[in-house]
Amino acid sequence: MIALFIDFARRFARNRAALVGLFLVLVVIGVAIAAPWWFPRNPLRIVGRPEIWPFVSPRYPLGTDSLGRDIAAMTAYGARTTLLIGLCASLTATIIGITVGATAAYVGGWVDELLMRLTELFQTIPNLIFVLTIVSILGQKIEYVTIAVGVVTWTPIARLTRAEFMSLRDREFVQACRAMGMGSLRIMFGEILPNALPPVIVLSSLVIAGAVLFESAVAFLGLGDPNVTSWGQLIGDGRTLIRSSWYICAVPGLAIMLTVLALNLVGDGLNDALNPKLRDR
Amino acid sequence: MRRIIIRRLVQIIPLIFAVIVMNFVLIHLAPGSLFDVMTSEQQITDPAMLDQLRHTYGVDQPVTVQLAKYIWSVMRLDLGYSYRQNAPVFDVIMQQLPATLILMLAAIGIALLVGVTAGVMASIKVNTIWDNLISLGAVFFFAAPSFWLGIMMTVMFAVKLGWFPVGGMRTIGVDESAIGAVLDVMHHLVLPATALGLFYAATFARVMRASMLEVARLDFVRTARAKGLSGGRVVLAHVMRNAMLPIVTLLGLQLGTMLGGSVVIEAVFSWPGIGSLLFDSVMSRNFPMVLGVLILGSLLVAVCNATVDLLYLRLDPRIKAR
Repeated sequence: MIALFIDFARRFARNRAALVGLFLVLVVIGVAIAAPWWFPRNPLRIVGRPEIWPFVSPRYPLGTDSLGRDIAAMTAYGARTTLLIGLCASLTATIIGITVGATAAYVGGWVDELLMRLTELFQTIPNLIFVLTIVSILGQKIEYVTIAVGVVTWTPIARLTRAEFMSLRDREFVQACRAMGMGSLRIMFGEILPNALPPVIVLSSLVIAGAVLFESAVAFLGLGDPNVTSWGQLIGDGRTLIRSSWYICAVPGLAIMLTVLALNLVGDGLNDALNPKLRDR
Repeated sequence: MRRIIIRRLVQIIPLIFAVIVMNFVLIHLAPGSLFDVMTSEQQITDPAMLDQLRHTYGVDQPVTVQLAKYIWSVMRLDLGYSYRQNAPVFDVIMQQLPATLILMLAAIGIALLVGVTAGVMASIKVNTIWDNLISLGAVFFFAAPSFWLGIMMTVMFAVKLGWFPVGGMRTIGVDESAIGAVLDVMHHLVLPATALGLFYAATFARVMRASMLEVARLDFVRTARAKGLSGGRVVLAHVMRNAMLPIVTLLGLQLGTMLGGSVVIEAVFSWPGIGSLLFDSVMSRNFPMVLGVLILGSLLVAVCNATVDLLYLRLDPRIKAR
């Protein structure tokens, strides 16, 4: 097991960009965890004069926004929201995707047909419009945003899982399990799934990046949870001041971009490490 | 050929049907009924009036009847009435749709132009500094949220340099000839279309590069070279044409995302399309409008997907043979 992990780590480390990405992701996670110690008081609290530019005041290294709130504190707390929503949404998408894809491939027949039509349906619906609809109907809560983003991003995972299951379900080891009298559920999730998982994990890591972008768009439009700081919301708040203080938009935007960039790089690295056959393509 | 087209179009019907049913479920998931929201939005308190509305909307009937009624009315393109605009929902959406279509087409155009060019460049100069620069650019634009790009571009090109207008679609109060109006719209279109298109350009560049390298290894390319065709002609007429197929597939798959992306971009640039309409309706809890946009948006994507599939048929005759 440890030898396997070392092998995995070595292959991951061969991709320089992935290491940079991993470093950035760790930094963002570190900031997210450290935020309450670093800025012990409520980040939405007004601390000083409004519209102080970055690098001007040593007390507010990233400046203050239109209300005089500390941008550094809000960005740090925003990392928590962004990562939390990204992870939970990706987890939701992965669970839905694996369930749908595995069932479709393993059961086959009309179930497969029906589930694939359902996948097609969710691919057709313009996803951001769907997220906005759900959030506007159910309410502006962080849970609803997470679920909504998960619900629109599971389709690629379902398709991939289905393809993997298709190629695995008639292999000898599965037939052996069936001959032993193992139940369908146990074969699906105990035997086939572990073999199908590596490419699915890669895709779910990329879904996190997509989820972060979705969340920021929803929050930017002012439909996120108003009681939670998030990067998208900061950009949305700063938008009205682009003539005088464009840095209010620039700082959280850079944070989003670097996080998504890092997550994508890590996803590519995982791809190299988990699917070595595909690397040279 | 006609049979294929008809078969592909028939496939859309169950899809739209499913969207309608899902809409219905969403309405019933809402806390309090949609009816409550509608009446409170219009501030109707008269009990007699409430009873009458309840009857008109069929709220007093069983769920199955309501569903059947809902499906029937949507099929007649009756998506409800919007008191906010004082017009039927369908008419309002149709009025705003052209602006969104223009924006999306322009964004697709920019994405294809920039993405394909960059991908071809990178594949010709593979593993050089150019290749690396293009890949780096692609990675960045792939990660930047489009609305943020839009805002930063506004700061740069509209506020600081003053080359382009900050938002809107037409210059207010200028009455011009037809050509002048077209130019005016195009002038307003540059920033939003670029902001929306660059993300897709990044995707296309990455896919195009990989696909060009893949196709360049095939036998027919060697044959073309052996025939004595010039390097440029081989790349443009033989490799690129075949390498474009994955791009067409990708374009079809991303139309839905693009329509979603245009909602945000329209909000940034106050572009008067269905995105702005949706945003406004979500904010004012105008549910008939929100659901109408969802249905017509899905229909639009479904039709575009079918078109892309048929386009594929033309680009790759091998598919028709099967």
